[in-house]
Amino acid sequence: MDISVYRAPPSDGLLIAPLDEFTAVYHRASGITHLLTDPAPQILVAVQDGARSLDALLVHLGRDYDLTDGTREALAARLEELVEAGLVERA
Amino acid sequence: MDDTRFTQDPPNPDAAASAGVPSRRRVLALGAVTAGAVMSIRPALAQTAGSVLNCEIPVPDASRAGSYIDADGKVVPARTKGAFPSSPRPFKGEEVKRAMANGSTLPGTDSERSRAYVKYIRRLQRGQGGFTCFASLQMPRG
Repeated sequence: MDISVYRAPPSDGLLIAPLDEFTAVYHRASGITHLLTDPAPQILVAVQDGARSLDALLVHLGRDYDLTDGTREALAARLEELVEAGLVERA
Repeated sequence: MDDTRFTQDPPNPDAAASAGVPSRRRVLALGAVTAGAVMSIRPALAQTAGSVLNCEIPVPDASRAGSYIDADGKVVPARTKGAFPSSPRPFKGEEVKRAMANGSTLPGTDSERSRAYVKYIRRLQRGQGGFTCFASLQMPRG
């Protein structure tokens, strides 16, 4: 079973600015700006609150949103994109 | 652990709507991404960020291979007294960065030779071998 937890940098490590359909995220540590589309910004904010497992994150998002394709696999794939971008850490 | 309430839902927004899901809550589609949900914009020089630390700086560059490096980092004729032979291998960006940052010696050199080599590298100009690598190391990084 996957027991990874995911976490984002502390809030002062990111500058987040909604830009209509995109959300711009400036990652201070790398100097890289990322443009995110849904559901990436919502996932990022959810892991900024603290490290969460995949299942806990799914439950958390389910409280705030009506999830479609709300499967572990779909969420894991979206998380992987954030991990590859360096915005989320998997521990 | 209960994740079944999500996995059992049909991935079909129409079905969800017809089932009377409250419309005030925002719908978030986790699997509906056709293009990537994350696009990264890197500063121009940082496009090489992954390779910066692996790029190489020959001492001296190939056009002056075999020349010596004096204590001030200048390229001088081979066998000049008091100067140091060229490095048998180019240095990695990471090695140079470390030597510049904390004064440690470049691999395979003693402190005087390393200091001369670092002075040579600091004098590099555009067009000389290793300049782009050196310039990349100067980028402020978090």
